[in-house]
Amino acid sequence: MTLLALIWKELWHLRVNAFLVAAGLALAVALLTVVRLTTAAAERETRRVMRDLGFNLRIIPRDTDMDAFWASGHSDKTLPADTVQKLAAQHGLFVTFNHLTPALERRFPVAGRDAILSGIGPSVIGPGEKKQPMGFLIAKGSVYLGSEIAASLGAKPKSRIELAGRSFTVERVLAESGSDDDIRLYTALEDAQSLLGLPGRINEIKAIDCLCLTADQDPLSQLRAVLEKALPEAKVLQLRSLADARAKQRQMAERYAAFATPVVLLGGALWVGLLTVLNVRERRAEIGLWRALGRGSGRIATLFLGKAALLGLVGAGLGYALGTALALRFGPDIFKVTAKALEPDIALLGWAALLTPVFAAVSAFLPAMLAVAQDPADSLRAD
Amino acid sequence: MITCEQVNRTFHGPGGEVRGLCDVSFTVTRGEFVAVQGASGSGKSTLLLTLGGMLRPSSGRVAVNGHELYGLSAAERGRVRAAGIGFVFQLFHLVPYLTVLDNVLAGLPGSVDSAARARAAALLDEFGLSHRAAHKPATLSAGERQRTALARAILKQPAVILADEPTGNLDPENAASVFRHLAAYRRQGGTVMVVTHGPDAAPHADRTFRLEQGRLTELQTQPVSR
Repeated sequence: MTLLALIWKELWHLRVNAFLVAAGLALAVALLTVVRLTTAAAERETRRVMRDLGFNLRIIPRDTDMDAFWASGHSDKTLPADTVQKLAAQHGLFVTFNHLTPALERRFPVAGRDAILSGIGPSVIGPGEKKQPMGFLIAKGSVYLGSEIAASLGAKPKSRIELAGRSFTVERVLAESGSDDDIRLYTALEDAQSLLGLPGRINEIKAIDCLCLTADQDPLSQLRAVLEKALPEAKVLQLRSLADARAKQRQMAERYAAFATPVVLLGGALWVGLLTVLNVRERRAEIGLWRALGRGSGRIATLFLGKAALLGLVGAGLGYALGTALALRFGPDIFKVTAKALEPDIALLGWAALLTPVFAAVSAFLPAMLAVAQDPADSLRAD
Repeated sequence: MITCEQVNRTFHGPGGEVRGLCDVSFTVTRGEFVAVQGASGSGKSTLLLTLGGMLRPSSGRVAVNGHELYGLSAAERGRVRAAGIGFVFQLFHLVPYLTVLDNVLAGLPGSVDSAARARAAALLDEFGLSHRAAHKPATLSAGERQRTALARAILKQPAVILADEPTGNLDPENAASVFRHLAAYRRQGGTVMVVTHGPDAAPHADRTFRLEQGRLTELQTQPVSR
């Protein structure tokens, strides 16, 4: 009789033990699936929420007068608009920077007020990434108005306004923010360049740092080192509070996953190991008999390891299905912003099917060795 | 066939040292039926497990089928056991999740082919177990279980069958049936060694020994008609 047939018959005979082992493994896989899917969802959610806090890096011309910069909020110097493409072309840049967004900002008189005109170009993201561009894409001829400027102009969505003799459609009126965004006009980059008489120029590249290091880990020196090499004519400023909040939130999510995964694995291993020990004890006489029939240690160990591996395969399938179902059922209630991004991860099933049998066999290894080392005379003697 | 020379086996327990076997020496030749009688705890199982290569003696020498058992590695002893030694136990030790037929086939060391299946089926027929071939041990009577265990031991045609209280849990009728089958195996040229607590095996044996507190003495030598 083949080993597989022997294992299968024993599994069927001790169905409760087999069920408990498979159920334990399925539960572990289900928990890991839930943790994996929800952690990915939490990271997505965190990224989205943190991204919505805004850019945390400002790349400006190196020769910017910083006193004027802090007084006005923007650089008095400019860079060529294709600096963004030049920066994006640098090998490995997107390890540290992402969402490179060219901007041109200047004070601009509107309705007798000193407003801020922000021309925003399309974001450049890392090659092969599926990230959504940051902020909003503004079509040429359109304008987004801060709340105070809109009130001064009496402008509403879809109304038209005149800026320096050119007509623009008000695409949106932004909600009051309590910041200088309330006196901003957002236009397409080309429109701002045209209105300001600075064609082909930008004075800032907004970005997000990808390092996820907190202030005490000194991310800024790393960012500066990268930029120094990639774009010596520019320098980078980091909005520390935003960057720190983002990094801490992502690190928290990663720590949670790093904590939960080994706990679940340890629990699963103990469960499988315990049940295998009980199985070995229950089968002492059988092990003795196989010895008496001349079967070697390898075959006896394989009886237990093979059983564990087979149950691992079953547990992987069931656990993946259960975990995915739980994540899809309850995940959207938790991660409302990125609910639609929660979906089954087929690669996870592949990994589960590959690793769970190995994990189960490793968990059953010590008890299997116990079976191999068992003295057959103890269980076979009659007197 | 079986040679035991000055075999001693000592156990160390909480109550101190216990001598399981004391200077046991004997020889069994091919085709002999040997019975060993002894009370419970006299060392019968210890003797049989030692002869089967499953319990290393504290001292002395054991050879079966020309193999110095305890000069071999555990794996080599396993191979000798698989090829040439059949066991029958008082508690039957059938695999609970296998059918009667599969239990009998489990005695074979190699892969099971159709010829082996046919031999097993014939053996079950001979042992009156054909109608039980597809049944699990839990549904069998004690006599049927022991006959299944005996068929398992005999199927591979081992040179030696070692039977440890094979009738200890059987009624007289089934016990007689087991001894008949063992005697028949001896007549086919097999060597049989049976340990019992009573004299049941003696009428079938060529020689009978008594085991008392680990010491073996020969009781009688009589020719048995084959």
